[in-house]
Amino acid sequence: MAAIGSDHERTLAGSPVRPAPGLPHAVESARVAARTAARASVDRTWPALTFETMGTMVSLRLADSDAHTVGESARVEAAELAKAMFRRWDERFSLYRDDSELSRIARGDIRLTDSSASVRDAYALALTWRDRSNGVFTPHRADGVIDLSGVVKALAIAEAGAALTSRGLLNWSINAGGDVLVSGEPKGRFGAWEFGDGAMSTGHGVAVPAVVTEHPEWVVAIVNPAYRGDVLASVPLRHPLRAVATSGSAERGEHIWTALNGELSPFRQVSVFAADIVTADVLATAIVAGGEATLNEMTARFAIDVLAVLRDGQLLATPGLHRAE
Amino acid sequence: MRARAVALATLASVSIVGIGWQLGSQAIDVSQSLTAFTGGTATAATVTATTDAAAQAAATAKAAADAAAAAKAQADAANTAASAQAAADAADASTAAANTAATAQAAATAAAASAAAQSGTFTGAVVQTQFGNMQVSVTIANGAITEVTPLQLTNRGGRSVAISNQAAPILRSEVLAAQSANVQSVSGATYTTQGYLRSLQSALDTAGF
Repeated sequence: MAAIGSDHERTLAGSPVRPAPGLPHAVESARVAARTAARASVDRTWPALTFETMGTMVSLRLADSDAHTVGESARVEAAELAKAMFRRWDERFSLYRDDSELSRIARGDIRLTDSSASVRDAYALALTWRDRSNGVFTPHRADGVIDLSGVVKALAIAEAGAALTSRGLLNWSINAGGDVLVSGEPKGRFGAWEFGDGAMSTGHGVAVPAVVTEHPEWVVAIVNPAYRGDVLASVPLRHPLRAVATSGSAERGEHIWTALNGELSPFRQVSVFAADIVTADVLATAIVAGGEATLNEMTARFAIDVLAVLRDGQLLATPGLHRAE
Repeated sequence: MRARAVALATLASVSIVGIGWQLGSQAIDVSQSLTAFTGGTATAATVTATTDAAAQAAATAKAAADAAAAAKAQADAANTAASAQAAADAADASTAAANTAATAQAAATAAAASAAAQSGTFTGAVVQTQFGNMQVSVTIANGAITEVTPLQLTNRGGRSVAISNQAAPILRSEVLAAQSANVQSVSGATYTTQGYLRSLQSALDTAGF
């Protein structure tokens, strides 16, 4: 594995992205970092909670403060809660499971009109996005089977996030197979309080926000589809664009075909930043499938930022993703 | 919908004719508002066109027609009534203007002159929308709007702010790199469970960043 930036302009040499090119080394240094972090009680960094679902992995992070507040058991409990939600969506919607409701609909065992409300809601949502994308995004497979995988993972992420929030966990990050939704901040400024004194003359300790360090934002790295140990950009998920999803062919190596005439997609990879994960996920898929026309229409119609990688490796980006200096 | 548009247009025409009959050559200011829903995401743009005939008008009569129909249907229906034609055309124009800013819903208020002042070119007021300032010029001939020219679409030299969000070629050195060492997540094409083990995300997760 080549070092970051070796075969590119030296854009990342000075970038703040944490280099992790040689993964064995990265993992080892990560373990060292984790051990070091564990010794520092205040700045304790919790490892991500990971679990497998929907054929991929979910990485869940709770901010230091939240994890500190709720303790290890509640933290694991929160992860179990999120896991259960992903499992529920998977059990109902996976076409890889013969006993899922969607598989039964595909076989004709039950009619769509007799299906559960959540299936019909998800189908209606997918149809809405089909219309919004002028048919580029579609919940129908070529053979006519209803395939809701285009929205289900995102819906599961959104639901898991809402569940964490409803439990008072306000600072978290959920990454399901490369689709990321965040809330609050990694250091947990929201809801994170510590006691200081002297700010008021009451003689009582005054609650002040926990120290906000110089890195208060959730930052997501966009992977280089040509070389997945490399990072193209690292973007803070600032309000209101708190979700990002990436579509492309890099991971599994298959070609992406356009929706309309069977031509190859001009895009090797498309990342969409949006306010919600469903929008990000659907539009990333739609832009890959619909090509440049869809890209231009969607950036005009929706409040999104897009980083697209053309087949020759060139980048297209909306102004929001331009480096400031 | 179409029947309703025709009915309302007819009603508007009857009102105008009736009042015009009474007021003789006095100018009539007719305001019509209509809303066109053409589907897609809803953003509202308002286009206002006023005629200077209003200043001369001794009396003002207003006929308001609400038509919730597709712009095409309105245009068809409007063939039966000149005033409705004006309104429908204005709606088309506002929709067209809004389309450049990627909007699908437009609300237009058009004021048409009476029989005595039904020809000429009129400039509407500047209306602020979420896409910037909008302003149109309307040419009316024999009671029908023959041309609508967008004078100001947005605040960026006639280009839509939304269009300015277009993804453009960018060098890798110009793309955003957060000023933070803390990258907690990696976004890429969906990795498989096996792929995860080789991914940057896996390394980050192990590290607990």
